[in-house]
Amino acid sequence: MKPRKVKGLDPDGPLAENARRIVKVRLAELRSFAPRALESGEQETLHDMRIAAKRLRYVLEMSEPAFGAAADDGAKAAKKLQDLLGEIHDCDEMLPRVRAHAEMLRAQDAAALRDGAAGAADLEPGAAREAPNRARYRGLESLGTYLTARRAVLFESFVRRWEKLESTGFAAELLDGLNRRSDLNPPEPAPATPSDGAAA
Amino acid sequence: MAKALAIPGLNPGTRFGDAAAAAVDVRAREVFAHAEGVLDTSDIERVHDMRVATRRLRAAMEVFAACFSNSEHKSLLREVKALADVLGERRDPDVAIAALEGIAAELAAADRPGIEDLVDEMRRGQERGNDRLAAALEELGESRLEERLLALAQTARRPASPAASRNGSAPA
Repeated sequence: MKPRKVKGLDPDGPLAENARRIVKVRLAELRSFAPRALESGEQETLHDMRIAAKRLRYVLEMSEPAFGAAADDGAKAAKKLQDLLGEIHDCDEMLPRVRAHAEMLRAQDAAALRDGAAGAADLEPGAAREAPNRARYRGLESLGTYLTARRAVLFESFVRRWEKLESTGFAAELLDGLNRRSDLNPPEPAPATPSDGAAA
Repeated sequence: MAKALAIPGLNPGTRFGDAAAAAVDVRAREVFAHAEGVLDTSDIERVHDMRVATRRLRAAMEVFAACFSNSEHKSLLREVKALADVLGERRDPDVAIAALEGIAAELAAADRPGIEDLVDEMRRGQERGNDRLAAALEELGESRLEERLLALAQTARRPASPAASRNGSAPA
């Protein structure tokens, strides 16, 4: 997911002002994914939201010297969200691998049984007892069931967390905190340039 | 996971370009400080620390993109992403193996063979990832990536001139 562009950044301007612009965009970006993520729970949207949370977290961590506790608290909230979405992502990544692995074992077993019955008119049900991977399916089925259930539990947890963040006004609180902090810390005067002061 | 080093000398009024120079300098050094021992699969925290350091560097380069020359920044960011991807190829199986072993330990003995089989497959992926990482680490030295990143960091300290090519509205 490509990040949204942040307009008006000025390398010669103060860290606080530039960082505030970036945080504002990253926060809006994160929140923009929420309606779809909450409604559908689909993998791609949750993944995009995780990346957005990570970007918000990183800019807040980096601007902590400018904004103090407001940035620190915001970064911690973003990290918790990112971690939770990361756990969901891990389930989403692992489940297809578990299913694919079970499918591969089944294909191997079917090939082995077919080869063992070469020339036969039919295959006896008892042949399944000789499938080389027969002891392996059960664990993969249990694992798949666990991951499916865990994903659902984590998603519910994510929904509750997000609703709590929104109901407590975390976005407004974060932006207020950043504004308050930079009001207390006005930009330093620009560094002297060679043209300032007495000529050599 | 190693704690990020503090970026010295930052305050709200610090010139954004100077903050960029300090952040990229510290984060780049951090990546290479973690390079030792990352190929040791018996200590999976080493590759994790280097990967996290690479993420932090990448984040600093993205946040401060507006302070750097477009082409050099873009090219170095691409190289840092490539390094992060190779580290991820090694790290992802590490995490998956640890998680699967943890789950298997909680299940009935009859459930374990299938999961152990999957773990074996992942170990092969871990070895492939380690081979690619070894090759990437060799290339790192040849490409002088650290040196070029540190040089890039310093360019943000230069006073802006109207002729300078800046990413005025680049992703941050």
